[in-house]
Amino acid sequence: MGAEREEVVLRGLPISKGIGIGFPVFFSGLDEDVSEGVISKKEIEEEIVRYRFALARSREDVEKLQKASLHEGTPEIVAILGTHLEMMQDPLLTSVMEEKIRVRQQKIETVFFHLIEEYKQRFSILQDIYFQERVRDIVDVSRRILNHLRPFGKVRMSEMPHNSIILAQELVPSETIEASSATVSAFVTAAGGITSHAAIIARAKGIPYVANVDIKMLKRVDLAAIIVDGSQGIVIINPTRQTLKKYSEVKRQHAEKYKLLKSATHLKGETIDGYEIRIFANLENPKEMDLLNKSGAAGVGLFRSEYLFLSNRRFPTEEEQFEIYKRMARSLRGRPLVVRVFDIGGDKKPDLLPEERDASRFGNLGEEMNPALGCRAIRFLLRYPDILETQLRALLCASRFGDIQILLPMVSDLTEIRKVREMIEKIRFDLQKKGVKVAKHIPLGCMIEVPSSALMCDALAKEADFLSIGTNDLVQYVMAADRNNPNTSDLYFSTHPSILRLIRMIVASANSSRKPVVLCGESAADPAMIPILIGLGIREFSVAARHIPLVKHTIRKWRILEACRLAEGALEYVSAPELKRYLAAETAR
Amino acid sequence: MIVVRKVKVKNALGLHTRPAAAIVKLLQPLKSAVSFTYKDETINARSIMSILMLAAKKNSQITITAEGADAELAVRRLVTAFEEEFGEK
Repeated sequence: MGAEREEVVLRGLPISKGIGIGFPVFFSGLDEDVSEGVISKKEIEEEIVRYRFALARSREDVEKLQKASLHEGTPEIVAILGTHLEMMQDPLLTSVMEEKIRVRQQKIETVFFHLIEEYKQRFSILQDIYFQERVRDIVDVSRRILNHLRPFGKVRMSEMPHNSIILAQELVPSETIEASSATVSAFVTAAGGITSHAAIIARAKGIPYVANVDIKMLKRVDLAAIIVDGSQGIVIINPTRQTLKKYSEVKRQHAEKYKLLKSATHLKGETIDGYEIRIFANLENPKEMDLLNKSGAAGVGLFRSEYLFLSNRRFPTEEEQFEIYKRMARSLRGRPLVVRVFDIGGDKKPDLLPEERDASRFGNLGEEMNPALGCRAIRFLLRYPDILETQLRALLCASRFGDIQILLPMVSDLTEIRKVREMIEKIRFDLQKKGVKVAKHIPLGCMIEVPSSALMCDALAKEADFLSIGTNDLVQYVMAADRNNPNTSDLYFSTHPSILRLIRMIVASANSSRKPVVLCGESAADPAMIPILIGLGIREFSVAARHIPLVKHTIRKWRILEACRLAEGALEYVSAPELKRYLAAETAR
Repeated sequence: MIVVRKVKVKNALGLHTRPAAAIVKLLQPLKSAVSFTYKDETINARSIMSILMLAAKKNSQITITAEGADAELAVRRLVTAFEEEFGEK
């Protein structure tokens, strides 16, 4: 075996650095190999009920979609959805399906899988592209139904075998967050941008990731081992012995270098001339607090609280939230814990279980024409204030166990801060009346990630207790370039002159109001960006815990004066490519 | 009453999703049991999924079998729909 397999090198978009070596796992809802799920006689009726439920939910989905398309006046889509609705009432998907469950005594997923395979086979014999396209409608309908059968049917990211190379059409944040670097060696996807949330998570976890690779083609190839080089954007399938040896060596060197950096991470993030830059950690999963405490972080600069339910598929109760915040605050022993309230929307679509109380509110979220400009983050929370109130109450109750600070995402107008402050004061009053102890001062911060708030930062700096610059979204909104779209990634420059000017402006406003400003975003972990950000006056960064050693290492190589000169020089450049060249020449050391 | 008639698929793209949906819709108000036979396979004409399963391309010969009180009407309507290429002409 293996003799006829040939080494093939594929080029993609490098997303997360590092070398991953392992075996392919195709990750998707439908095409995964479904085992012969046999059920007992007693379970048959239960299985049928489960299927009917999923089918009813799917119908509701499509009806909702159809209604939305009706408003937008797209008759083709309305017609296609109409056909999908009829397919869901088709005897083959209703009575015949139930009959098959009874006769074969199999799980519905298995029955489904065989049905789809049958269709695929039939149409692939025809060698007719148009006919093969037809299967898509069936696959689409099936996927919708199967999705409603989850989480029972799907292999979860958290249950991957060791040395898995995940091959997927695309990754969503809630799945990526479940991956463990102990089991998942690398990600390879067809779609995905450098700053998508899935990409950020992959980098934070140190899992190599390459996008823009033809996954469908890979499915047709006989695959043994795979090497993923996330630094170069290369995927090598069926590598020869020499290639394997070479990459194993590179991987070992990487690990050693990281270990070396890590051994110095307890040191301060200090410039050569003694200016201290405080480095905080970003956090998605509260279970990673231990790792964070070992990383030399000055505290949690950004806890992305939405991940509490993105992976659990339901909202945590006030009591559950309280316990989590309390535990986190305690384990930080007085160091700050900045909790960003639920940032929902955009590419962070909540995938709540349909029976969840709040599921209906998200019904139309995914259908927005322009989700990045839609009802997300603080806009969503102010629209459904009970979700925010629950979270704020849990935070206030936990505030006496440490230094809890509250951060508002995607603020685009001053009144949003005022509204939340009013809510906090009201909750504080209610709690204190009940005799609950609440910290005297709970700082309320404002994310600067929307152009309007960057332009109004002087007013926001007076209103808020601290500012937090989120460069990922700020760049996307200032450049009007989708961060997930590979065709606009040329425009998505974190080092665009406009961004540098805005950062300088924000720092100046924060300084004149004597409010702290922290920069969190991918640029904060980029060795080429760090000196210029320091030069622009940033004194606090928040990055993924695993990047802290590198960030500190970079800071320790610079003098504050040099950094300021570098920034001044950079502000002279008026186009992105020129600025990029200048930075590359000046920051290499 | 049983009515049997042979028809030819005339529209360029064959019996794909849209014509299949049209057939099912057309039969909805009628009471007869209607089946299509193509090559050696006979399927229920009231099922989009089954019609798709036939994978019948242009120029395929389909045998329509209708059984019931309005069988004649059902076949007549179907023949017209096939003739008019399901409005795709």
